[in-house]
This record gives sequence, structure tokens and C-alpha cells, in this order.
Amino acid sequence: MNAKSLGIFGLLVILFVFMVLMTSDPWTDIFSSTFLQSNNIENLLRRVSMYGLLGIGVAFVIITGGIDLSVGSIVCLAGCLLGIFLQVDYRPAALFDVHLATQENNSLVVHENAVGRYDVGDKLRMYRGRQPALLTVKDIEAVQLKDREGKSLGIGTVMTVEGLLRDEDSGQVAKAFDVLDFGQAVGDQPAWVELAGVSFRLSVRDRVSFFHPTLGQKDLVVHSASHSGDVTRIDLSQPLGDRFSKEWMAMPTERRQRMAIPLAIISVLGIAGFLGLLHGLLVTRVHLQPFVVTLCGLLIYRGISRWLVNDNPVGFGIEYKETLSPLGSGKLSLFEWSTADGSQTFGIPYPLFVFLTASGVAVIFLNLTIWGRYMLALGSNEEAARYSGIRTERITILAYVICTVAAATGGILFALDSGSISPSSFGNFYELYAIAAAVLGGCSLRGGEGSIFGVIAGTAVMMLLNNLILLLKIPDRLEFTIIGLVILMGVTLDETVRRIAARRRAMKSAQT
Amino acid sequence: MAEADTPLLEVRKVGKQFPGVRALHDVDLTVQHAEVLAVIGENGAGKSTLMKILAGVQLPDSGQILIEGKSVQLSSVKVSLDCGVALIHQELNLAENLQVGENIYLGREPSRFGFIDRQRLNADAKQVLSQIGLQVEPTTPLSELSIGQRQMVEIAKAMSVGARVLIMDEPTSSLSSAEAERLFVVVQELRQRGVSIIYISHRLGEVRALADRVVVLRDGKNAGMLSSGEISHDNMVRMMVGRDISQFYARKQVPVGDVVLSVESLRTATWPEHELTFSIREGEIVGVSGLVGAGRTEMLQTLFGIEHPVAGKVIVEGQQIELKSPLAAINAGIALVPEDRKLNGLVIDMSVRHNISLAALSRNRLAGGFLNRATEIRDATQMVRDLRIKTPNDAQITRFLSGGNQQKVVLGKWLSMKPKILLLDEPTRGIDVGAKQEIYHLMETLAKEGLAVLFVSSEMEEIMGMSDRAIVMHEGRITGEIQRADLSEESIMQLATGNANAASTVTN
Repeated sequence: MNAKSLGIFGLLVILFVFMVLMTSDPWTDIFSSTFLQSNNIENLLRRVSMYGLLGIGVAFVIITGGIDLSVGSIVCLAGCLLGIFLQVDYRPAALFDVHLATQENNSLVVHENAVGRYDVGDKLRMYRGRQPALLTVKDIEAVQLKDREGKSLGIGTVMTVEGLLRDEDSGQVAKAFDVLDFGQAVGDQPAWVELAGVSFRLSVRDRVSFFHPTLGQKDLVVHSASHSGDVTRIDLSQPLGDRFSKEWMAMPTERRQRMAIPLAIISVLGIAGFLGLLHGLLVTRVHLQPFVVTLCGLLIYRGISRWLVNDNPVGFGIEYKETLSPLGSGKLSLFEWSTADGSQTFGIPYPLFVFLTASGVAVIFLNLTIWGRYMLALGSNEEAARYSGIRTERITILAYVICTVAAATGGILFALDSGSISPSSFGNFYELYAIAAAVLGGCSLRGGEGSIFGVIAGTAVMMLLNNLILLLKIPDRLEFTIIGLVILMGVTLDETVRRIAARRRAMKSAQT
Repeated sequence: MAEADTPLLEVRKVGKQFPGVRALHDVDLTVQHAEVLAVIGENGAGKSTLMKILAGVQLPDSGQILIEGKSVQLSSVKVSLDCGVALIHQELNLAENLQVGENIYLGREPSRFGFIDRQRLNADAKQVLSQIGLQVEPTTPLSELSIGQRQMVEIAKAMSVGARVLIMDEPTSSLSSAEAERLFVVVQELRQRGVSIIYISHRLGEVRALADRVVVLRDGKNAGMLSSGEISHDNMVRMMVGRDISQFYARKQVPVGDVVLSVESLRTATWPEHELTFSIREGEIVGVSGLVGAGRTEMLQTLFGIEHPVAGKVIVEGQQIELKSPLAAINAGIALVPEDRKLNGLVIDMSVRHNISLAALSRNRLAGGFLNRATEIRDATQMVRDLRIKTPNDAQITRFLSGGNQQKVVLGKWLSMKPKILLLDEPTRGIDVGAKQEIYHLMETLAKEGLAVLFVSSEMEEIMGMSDRAIVMHEGRITGEIQRADLSEESIMQLATGNANAASTVTN
């Protein structure tokens, strides 16, 4: 750690002590500090981790003498893409698209050949359609579908059914099953049902949709299922309810996740890396200014994000509550103790582990590998680096890739932490937090200078300030003003100290 | 009117300190009325600093400046101009997008009711222009003027503020010989009109022709003064260098080996119409001479892969190499010490060690791309010792080293990689006399160890003193090669100007 990082660490310590004293009442009793409450500290650590990832990423670009303004939009894009890649839907067995249903002559026409999948006597139900009725198949035949002009629409199926309440020309229809037998939950034993003729193997996290002509519908999650002969016995994770009877019909649905979690994460990071590559190419090959390239990125990715999800909020719901979401919102509990207000716990938020790993890799990369040295060298004097045989363009591109991948990693964590994100506001201004943290941490926007430790401390200072505004009940309208003033003071002090040091050094070396 | 024996301008014991270097040390200078005083000295001798102090660009740390016997504080350019001292920079300070007249009165435009009075401006400008014999309309856009004419505009600008002392810093460095002739006439006319001129030049021929007196600076100190009868080439050089030239340059002829670098019909991007063909042998030092802009730097940069060659072959030790990047050149064993070390040679804010290791990092790296710190430290320590780089330790930031030591760091970067061919572009520019000699000595030693050295220099003495053979360039082509025995200022200048007759006017 060099002398320059010391300043920001000093500021961090001062701010920390100040916070403890200001939030304690009386100020001598630090255990009364609201700042030191375990959930506040946990929250602070979580935020430092997530914003810190962005700061470290942008620090690499700043070290090469560039800038990345697209960080906030990359965060948003990563969150939206993750939501899309991990979207889950449930499909029932034997699902067919409705071509036409006519109530008058009890006919139902569907696309594709349903013969063999449906049989005479099968019960069907419109799936997510407006037709609530249960239909019974009386006759079934595969035909060639034609539109009014006689153009072929491919093979289809014509059925005579009982129970149509109205005409349809869209929607889907799927098979419903009679409940052969069932048992309510008793003690540790889960509720169960038995169905006959289910064509796919149900497993944990699939669902069964139960419905009743008058009592409505409920979706229950499968705990486990066993198939013996034609009968499928399904254990459910939730109770069936008192009003359940054999009159209810069941429609088992298979859970379909668009991508496996690791693949989704890799895809998001890959796309972000590709965008970084584009930034780098535009800067090095087309010689555009980094500010302009990434400003355009800021606008473009925000727009793409909103368009991708139709400006609707993206949520991860309960689907990933136990699998992926804790990576953003969970913690590794360490201590538990009881207080007057009940029991309290303190744990390490999982994002901190991601952040510490990323920081470690960044420190090693910047200080111990030749590429890190190249970045520092070319940031300080690109021409001299080029004249030393360094492929400066590749190294610059690498910095932009690191930045966007780090931003996307942060974006994934932010999205998982908040659970639901709104594409028009998620990640707004995050690039400024990141750049401010890097600058506070000793990165020079002229390039060639910067340390990862400094950036971490810079992020922590930013988050402490944010916390200070919250806890000291300063109007949050002033948040940006306070952060702005502190950064200004920080860099002014830094510059002054550096100038004095340089002058002293110059005088000393002139005397020798 | 001042008395004849009171000097117009007097500088007494002026000192100036910069980070890492004492630029001026108790320097005295006296300028009489209506004289041409030449100030000469090697690069880094302190001429430019002294002139900047006189022009009010920089403040001296110590000493006194008197104008007509009165002590003055030249605290800004404006104060200096008010005192009648004007500096014409080496790089002209004119606005290309303005007209000639507007340039002359830039910042002092005559105005009426707050608007620029164009009529008066142009009338005044016309008068000043005619005084110095420049025949252009004040309304001509400056961009249409040649470099020589622009310089005249600068002089006109200085005269329009009533300058009595005109400082000209290397005024002929970018002029054609005809333009230089024209300038000399104007200088003489100005002197006749009572203006004193401080004339700074490296071209000793010009100094001999123009100067009434010569003041020599060396290492920021007065090295002596020559009055009109004593001004001769040898006297000037001896004072500048501080010893006889024969002792200064250490080159002794050594037997040379096989051809290491062979350049065949190389066409550079800057001068694609000319083909360059030459070769260098093991242990040979070849100088490249020529005027500024002759294409020497471009040739070195092409050989180092900075600029892409348009056509031609470059063969190193019998193997043709493709110069697509500096890395390709380095891998072929070529090293370049560039002309501007702060711009291209050094990462000035990095330490000595990191600068020395920079080019070799990739070659020495450990598995996984990790830095090989042990080799890095070993190489840096060895280079600091072998090249006698004066630095407290190898962690010192390069910025705080003197020019000569910075240059040695650049050399160290390459020598740690054991190149076969060393290209040097103006290797002694801006470094002091002692360091210069060390660089020469190094070139000598390296050649003895078998390196092929190709160096570009604008200093005639350097070319003559150090080359086994000199290549002379003019406007992008090689106009000739001269063996050591035949090297002389005349022989070089004739080839450098591409015209034997024009050459004599500048060198005599």
C-alpha cells in the first residue's frame, strides 16, 4: 500500500469513528450505537461489496487513461438479462394450440396431430384461456387444416367435445386428470394425490394445478412423485385444504427454466464482456474518445434493457429463493445472541465473498502480472509503452472487458438482492458512484495511477456517507451534495499534499 | 537617451532551479545598444531558460536584471514587453486562423466603442510590415504564409510593441536557406535602426556571420565571451564543450564483422517515393546526418515497426523480417532510443526499475503471466551499475533524474534485452556535457561488443566524432555515404542540402 492510499484509509477510519460516536446515546456507550447494529453493518458490507465491484471494474479503465460511463446501464442490462434467462414457466402435459372452437356444433380444432395424445373420454381444459369449462372428448380425427383461401396450415386435429360454453379462436388446451385418491397432510406426512395416465415424470419443484367447477383453482408444488404402472402418486409440499375432494381435477405441470443457473450467469457475463470488447475496439481501432463511446453505451443499454422487458419490472420471485437469490440477499450467519428486542444475528453477506474474491484477483492481476504492469505503463504514457513493444491496443481492450464484466457481476448481485428491478431506474447513476469511488481511492483520470485497496476504501467512504445521511436524519435530498463536497475535499487535499511532496522531493534531489 | 556606456540590458548573477537540475547558476549577460549578441551552448546549457527569464515567462530564483541601469522585476510577459524585451519562440506563437494584421495586434487591438477598429489595425499593421520589408497584406490569412514569412510576422509583432531587445531562439531551425538569408538581412537592418538582438543558434556558421559578440553558456554557467575578432568555429566549440573536441569523442576505428542489418529498397510511409538502401555491420557505428525534416526519424521509426513500411526488405542476420509492430522489431533484435525520451522513451512517472524492465517483462514472465520480480530487480540493478545511472536507488521515479540519466534508463531498457541492432535518435539531445561523453563512451563499448549502432544526430561534431561511416539524408532520400576519413562539415552539408552551392552560405 502506498502513501496515497493512506489518506483515504485515514478518512475512512475518521468517518467510522464519527459515525459510531454520533449515533451512540450517550456518546460514551458505543453499544447503543444504531450505526453498529448488526443489520446496519451487514447492510453496509453488502452495499460496499456490490458497489465495490463496479468501482474496481471502472478503476481498470481509468488506470489506462479511459473512462466508462456505461457501468450503470450495464448493471441494469445484466439484471434484466438474468431475469429473462432464468424465466420459469409451467407446461402441462399434452398441450395443443387451439385453432377454432365452435360451441354450436361442439367442435374443437387444434393445431398438430393430437391423436394418440388425446383419446375418446379424456378430459381437457383450456390452459390459461378464458374458457373455464371442462371438456370431454367424444370423437377425434386428424385432418389437413386449410385457411379460407384454401392454403394449407399443416396437419391438425378435429374433435367433438362436450361442454363448450363459447366460441374460441385462440388459446391452448391441455389434458386434465381425475384424482383417484388423496390424503391430507398428517404430522410429518405430506399431503398426496394419485392420478392415472400422466405421461411425464413429475419431480420436485414441478407443480400440480387443481381446479373445481365451483370452488376455484389452486397450484401446489410437488415434493416428490412415484410412478407405478399407470398410477402416479404425488407428494405435495403444501396442504390440499379442507374443501378438497375427488371432484377436483388435476393438471400436472412441468417446470421449465429457460436456462440452468450457471449457464445464465455465464451468458450474462459473456454478453457484458462482448460489450466491453466493443467499447475497447471503438476506442483503440476507431480512435473514438472513451467518454463518447461509453456515454453512447449508457444510453443504448438502458434503452435495450427497457425494450427487452417491455418496461415491466423483472422479478425472480420465489423461484430462486433457495437457490440463487441468497447470493445477493443472503448471509453466512456467524453469531446469534438475544437482546431485549428478541434474538439478533450477525453474518457475512454472501456478496462480500464475491467481492473479496474479485478484489483478490484484481490486486494480483494489477500488481503481479505483466498485463497489470502494462496497464499502469500505458495509462501513464501510451506512446512509451508502444515503443517498448507492448501491444497497447489489446491491453486497453482488456481493461474495458474487465470493467463491463465486473459491472455485470455487480448487476447480478444487485438484481438478486432487490428481487425485483425496474428497468427504467435500476442502476441509474451507479457509474458515478463507481467513478467517484475510484477517484477517491487515488485513481487519476489522467491514467497510470490507482490501487485496488484505494478503490475499496473509496467505495467504503461513499457508502458510509450514504449511511450517515440516513442515520443522522439529514434530508436525503442533500445526499448528492454531501457526497460531491466530500469528494471535492478529498481530491483537493490529495492534490495539495502531492504537490508539496513533489516540490520537497525536487528540492532534495536538486541539492544532491 | 541613455549614455553609450550604460548597457541596454544587464543580467547579474541570475540563478534558476528546476526539479532535479540547476538550470542557471550565477549567469551574467550584458547587451549593448544596437548589437547582435549571440548566445550559444550545448543543449541543456541554460540558454532557453535564460531567455524565458528575460521574456518574463519564468522568474529567476536569484540575481538581478537591469534595463538601462535600472533594476526591474520581469514578472510577466507583459512587464517584459513594457520594458522593451520581446521573445520570438522557436515554435512560433501565432494564431493560424487569424489574419496577419490581427496576429500582430492580438490582445492589443485598437478599438472604437468597444469594437475592433479594423481600418486602423490594418493601416498600422501595414506600416510595421513595410518597416521589416515583408510584402504581404495585413488581411492575408496567416495560414497562407510560409514559415519564413510567419517568422517575419512575429518580428513585426515585436516591433509594433516597440521592442528594443529582440530575442530570437533558433530562428533558422525550420527555414529554407533563402528564407534564412532574408532573415539575416532583416537582423542587420534592425541593428542599424538601434534594436539589439539576442541571437540563439546551434549553427555556428550563422553566428560567425551575424554576431558582434558571442556569449557561451555551459552547464548553466558562463563559459566565456568572444568579441568580434575572436569569433571562430574552433573557439566557439572549445568553449561550448570545455575541452578539445579530439579528446571529447572517443571513437576509435575497430574491425567490423558481418552485415547485421541490411535495408533494401525500403519505402517509408512519409516519403514513399524514395527507396532507402544501406547496411550495417557488426561492431559498426553509423551516423545519419541531414537537416531537420530530412526523414531520418521516420526511417528509424520504420525500422522499429512504429510506422509501416510501404515496400522494401529489412534483413537481420540473413533473415527477412516483417516490421508490423515494435514487438516484431524487438523480437528481431532491434532497439530504438527515440528522439523525445519523455514522450516516447520513458514512462516518466514510473520508477527506474520499472522503466528498465518494461520491454523485457513479456520475455521474462513466469507461467500464468506473472512478473518475474527477481529478474526485474537483477536487470535493473545491473543496468544502474553498468551504465552508472545516478539515482538514489532503482525505485526512484524517473522524472526526478537528470536528462542524461533518464537517457541512460532508456538505454538500460534495451541493453538488458541484449539487442543486435541499436537505433539511436538524437541520443544526446538535452543532456549535459558529462552525460554526453558517457553516452559516447557507451556507444563505443557496445560497438566493441559487437552491436551494430545506427544513430541520427543533428550535431555535426557528433556525426564527425562518432561515426565510422555517415549516411546523409535530404528530403527523404539518402544522398550519400561518407567514410570516416572523408567526414567534414562541408562534405556532410553538401549532401544534407542536396545542393552544393546552397550549402556554403550556411556553413561558411
